[in-house]
Amino acid sequence: MSTIPAAQREATVLFQKSRNRDWQLGYLLILPAAVVIVGLIAYPFLYSIWMSLQVIRVGGVGRFVWFQNYASLLYGFNSGRFWNSVLVTVEYTVTAELGKFLIGIITALILHHSLKARGLFRTLLFIPWAVPAVVSAYTWRWMFDDRLGLWNTLLLGAGVIQSPVLWLSNIDLALWSVVAATVWQGTPFWTMTYLAGLQSIPSEIYEAAHVDGASSWQSFWSITMPNMVSVIIVTFMLSSIWTSNNLQYVYILTNGGPVNATETFPLLAYTIGMRDYNLGLAAAVPLLFFPVFAILIHFLSGRLLREGFEQ
Amino acid sequence: MSATSRAQTAANPVVRWLGKDNHGWLLIGYVILLVAVVWTVLPLYWVMISSLKPDADFYKMQDILWPSTFTIQHYVDMIFHSGFPINLRNSLVVALATTVVSTIVGSMAGYALVRLRFGGRKVFGRLLIYSYLAPGSILFIPIFGMMVALHLTNSLFGLGLTYLTFTVPFCTWMMMGYMQTVPVELEEAALVDGANRWTTLWRIVLPLTVPALVVVSVFSFTLSWNEFLYALVLVQNQSVMTAPVGLAFLQAGDVFFWGKIMAASIIMSVPPMVLYLFGQKWLVSGWTLGSVKG
Repeated sequence: MSTIPAAQREATVLFQKSRNRDWQLGYLLILPAAVVIVGLIAYPFLYSIWMSLQVIRVGGVGRFVWFQNYASLLYGFNSGRFWNSVLVTVEYTVTAELGKFLIGIITALILHHSLKARGLFRTLLFIPWAVPAVVSAYTWRWMFDDRLGLWNTLLLGAGVIQSPVLWLSNIDLALWSVVAATVWQGTPFWTMTYLAGLQSIPSEIYEAAHVDGASSWQSFWSITMPNMVSVIIVTFMLSSIWTSNNLQYVYILTNGGPVNATETFPLLAYTIGMRDYNLGLAAAVPLLFFPVFAILIHFLSGRLLREGFEQ
Repeated sequence: MSATSRAQTAANPVVRWLGKDNHGWLLIGYVILLVAVVWTVLPLYWVMISSLKPDADFYKMQDILWPSTFTIQHYVDMIFHSGFPINLRNSLVVALATTVVSTIVGSMAGYALVRLRFGGRKVFGRLLIYSYLAPGSILFIPIFGMMVALHLTNSLFGLGLTYLTFTVPFCTWMMMGYMQTVPVELEEAALVDGANRWTTLWRIVLPLTVPALVVVSVFSFTLSWNEFLYALVLVQNQSVMTAPVGLAFLQAGDVFFWGKIMAASIIMSVPPMVLYLFGQKWLVSGWTLGSVKG
């Protein structure tokens, strides 16, 4: 031990002392966050499962019925409405995601190029993100109004249609109208994310490819797209989770109508829980969707953790 | 990937994949952008115009795109003759409180996860991600049940607590990402000089993470301000309602007072818009730290 210099010995001791202090401080620092995560996320999740196994009303005592709620939703009394909400949710989410993806990537690609007034375009195009969803929902509701709404006014005035389009009351049209509002508000998030992804691809690669004689198309497919694949996949998954959980648009634009044509599963859960006061059944609805989310979450968390935990 | 090349790309974002002299494509690009801008701005124009239209105009089939008379009556009504200002105040209180709390909590937890070694670190990290990704539709029913049991419905405190469920994981995650870019040497130098970890967090690391703090605060505030579902489910008392729900209550049955609704919409959009315009620079650069890394 005498061959080890004193400073090094002291450093080792300091290191070990700080290691122990690390533990104490570590737990102290994560304590508030841990309280939120355990108390307001983990516990409610488990509580939700517990509730779904009972028939329980607001503030009342629950009666255990085991899997009756699930049976009712899957093939029993409520199955018609449940499977309808599955279909509606899938249609809604897939269409909205595709719309946001296409518009987002095209816009991001254009914005990434050095155009004049890029900054102005960017500022304007990202505004819907900052607008409260309620506001955009009401705005679109008003725009879709049969008699005085913006769209019908413009279309009728331009002679494109002869009679007002029933954007929100036509069974075949209602869902797509809701999708339009969702896409309007949600696209900026995608555009921003793609733009950030594009900006992280170093320009030297493009210049090198250009020197080597690659055409624009070739550069796009062999440089831009591969680098963006991970961004696209992660955004797609994240956005799908968030969009499918969206309640504002269906609630405000159509309230699930006409005839449940726009009733996504969160709205179904809300209606069952808050209007029919059947909390147990309401809790079971989103839980039936959980397996799908679990797969997405598992994949996403693996990805995010890998990138986040470099140590 | 070096920092310089990334900076270079950001400063000179020429994507030569379009080719230098391809003016044709450039023109198409402009046209597409223009269409996109019109599509984006048209609804906003509509809100603005509708909020300045007198009520009588709403029943005429004329003057739809450009009113013949302008009026600020709707704004006057909303500000002075309605309960909406109370709703705005409620939103402000909840959003500010949530932002402050989650920024602090997120910074603390983010620092711990990035710099300290302690048992269960990886598990906590995993739980954190799961929380961030947890679908809100699963949580709102049990949380409603819990709040009823705790007598926290119709209270801003209860509402604020529920907002923490999405702001805290998000803030922690963002702060984590950004703190990783702060050089460890700075802290180590301070530690050698006798400072403890707690001090280095507040005096050295945090001041260097100001861009991330801005992003996190803007996001938290905006998310809380715009939140609708929990506000709808947990609060029925009109004087406790937040702005989004207050807006939803401006319809009386089948009748929509569109002028008022549009005026209220504009009013309540001001804070997030201001934050957005103000924090734009940071937002775009901070985007990479969050859910998707470039």
